[in-house]
Amino acid sequence: MVEEKRILYEHLDVPDINTFDVFRQYDGYKRFEKAIAEYQPDDIAKMVMDSGLKGRGGAGFSTGLKWSFVPRDIKPCYLCCNADESEPGTFSNRYVLEKNPHLLIEGILICCYAMGIETTYVYIRGEFTLGKRMLDAAIKEAYEKGYLGKDVRGTGLNIDIYTHPGAGAYICGEETGLIESLEGKRGQPRNKPPFPAVEGVFMKPTVVQNVETLCNLPFIVGNGVEWYTKMGPTYADTRNDPPTPDPNTGTKLYCISGDVNEPGVYELELGLTCSELIEVAGGLRGEEVKAVIPGGSSAPILTHYELDTRLDFTSLTLAKSMLGSGGIIVMNETRNIVDCLLNIMKFYAHESCGQCTPCRWGTPWVRDIVQRIADGGGRPDTITRPKFGVTESGRWGDTGETEEIYEDLDLLESVANNIANVDTMTWNTICVFGIAVSWPAVSYMRKFRPEFEAAIREGKLVTLPVAEATVPPEENYAYQQRFIPKEFADL
Amino acid sequence: MSDELVQIETPFTFNEKNQREFDELIERYPIKEAAMLPTLHIAQRQAGYITPAVMKYVAEQLEVTVMKVKDVVTFYPMFFEEPVGEYVIRVCHTLPCALRDCKVVLDHLKAKLETDIASETNLAKGTTADGKFTLMKVECLASCDVAPVIMINDDLYKNLTPEKVDEILETLAG
Ligand SMILES: Cc1cc2nc3c(=O)[nH]c(=O)nc-3n(C[C@H](O)[C@H](O)[C@H](O)COP(=O)(O)O)c2cc1C
Ligand code: SF4
Repeated sequence: MVEEKRILYEHLDVPDINTFDVFRQYDGYKRFEKAIAEYQPDDIAKMVMDSGLKGRGGAGFSTGLKWSFVPRDIKPCYLCCNADESEPGTFSNRYVLEKNPHLLIEGILICCYAMGIETTYVYIRGEFTLGKRMLDAAIKEAYEKGYLGKDVRGTGLNIDIYTHPGAGAYICGEETGLIESLEGKRGQPRNKPPFPAVEGVFMKPTVVQNVETLCNLPFIVGNGVEWYTKMGPTYADTRNDPPTPDPNTGTKLYCISGDVNEPGVYELELGLTCSELIEVAGGLRGEEVKAVIPGGSSAPILTHYELDTRLDFTSLTLAKSMLGSGGIIVMNETRNIVDCLLNIMKFYAHESCGQCTPCRWGTPWVRDIVQRIADGGGRPDTITRPKFGVTESGRWGDTGETEEIYEDLDLLESVANNIANVDTMTWNTICVFGIAVSWPAVSYMRKFRPEFEAAIREGKLVTLPVAEATVPPEENYAYQQRFIPKEFADL
Repeated sequence: MSDELVQIETPFTFNEKNQREFDELIERYPIKEAAMLPTLHIAQRQAGYITPAVMKYVAEQLEVTVMKVKDVVTFYPMFFEEPVGEYVIRVCHTLPCALRDCKVVLDHLKAKLETDIASETNLAKGTTADGKFTLMKVECLASCDVAPVIMINDDLYKNLTPEKVDEILETLAG
């Protein structure tokens, strides 16, 4: 069985680790001291780039690369720490805030030093009252000990950290929504470009970084890049010639919930498979895995055919899903996928910020279609449409054949695809919330079509046995990318 | 005319403690407007909910129009424009909690408190007759490992069963 590898969470359960003195006993702030004593700011930025650290908040974008976009001559520059953890199924940031807030402060200090930042805002979701209290207390202590404020530890650096409470809106987790919200407005995302790195909060360059991403920094600085890159797989991206390394380095705080015996946060090296993770989490609660959501509710679902998929950024992208925030939700054979989709669509219909017409109207529309099907009112008329599948050339495309599909399922797919098209990966919306809606909607429907069809046919929710409910990969357009010739290979 | 409308209610001002908190807060941002969310949180804590008088006061403090404050208040689910009970019970009903039977907890609370579930536009619907509790559904509370969960005011309650709910309600009532 895969062993847990606790790095960020190593001292999480040490009593009073939230106080400065205890944190100090466990190397606390020593890595920051090492950073300012031994390295220039640019060295730190280079280390982060070389470490291959990818953002843990959802997008999985290279942190070093993001930092390199920040213009160095425009001041002030801000750091916004994203602690708005609201993606269903994700709960790892919460424990850092509540139990080990000094680790986050140390990460922020290192980032501030590397980027020449003086002011950091930690945007904490409004419901994290305990987390905010703990972090506020830790910040106060850090000020008292001279690690924050004017002239930090006699280095001439001025660094301030402020916490900023959200007020219950999911979309404020999106980086530009967060920025708008921080400026005291409705949390409605901005058009990009300009990206926050260039023009963010108060129209100044802004680094937006997730809590977990920042907590990785002390360990990269403290133990070195070589140590860090040994964890997790690095693939070779053979689309480039010569192949470029595609790092999935470090550990991930996997949050696992749903039908497992011991739900919780498990810190493991990136790259273990889905079934291994379920085993680490005490095994499945039930007889059979029906489906797994691999990266928060926005991620396309995986079927029991895909349990060998490795849970890292690259592998999940190739499986046409995503690691996202690392929130894994497991469903056993008793679950009805239509019902699960309905739950998720209610969430998104509630959380759309309402700026873009396709999202504002499309999301409730998708919810209503799923509700209708779940209530037994799905429209039984069928239509004929072109069938997609493996064509004569061995690639995916229009096979020239046709298929019969229930009108409501075609409608569901078409409404979702008009918010954001999951096949072409283009969207008609300002932010990628749109794709977070259509990805689950379309992938659940395509991969578990028999269950949707049964609900329409029978006029009520029918939970089919796993084998019958799942469309096999060979027949399904949603698995498409698995058939593209392997472009990535283990180095 | 608009002044008269607002005057119907008792005017609102921060008490001394909150004024001090606000003064500290405003220092943190290069523009005053940015203190909007924390200021509204403080105001709601003091007033119970965001009345027109509160909005007017906050607008004056932050040097923005009342409309801008209203704009923000209506966007965020955590700000109430109507009175709520002494204890606000937030029941998570998103997928991970749903997979762990949050519906049982919700139904039990409904029966126990003899109230419906509040909607964002009608909080009174979910408030008990004695004004002690308001019951509402919320989206993921980021505690899926201990599902089903509810939040009562600032406190999180984990791994709930109807029996545990009874215990909690008894403590709060007593
Ligand atoms: C709809 C939506 C919701 C998001 N919610 C969160 C969130 O709750 N927490 C978070 O850290 N990132 C969230 N993100 C990702 C952020 O936009 C951003 O990519 C991230 O904070 C960048 O930090 P990182 O590079 O350290 O991951 C969300 C993105 C979208 C589109
Ligand atoms: S896609 Fe949806 S959530 Fe994103 S900006 Fe548009 S309306 Fe708002």
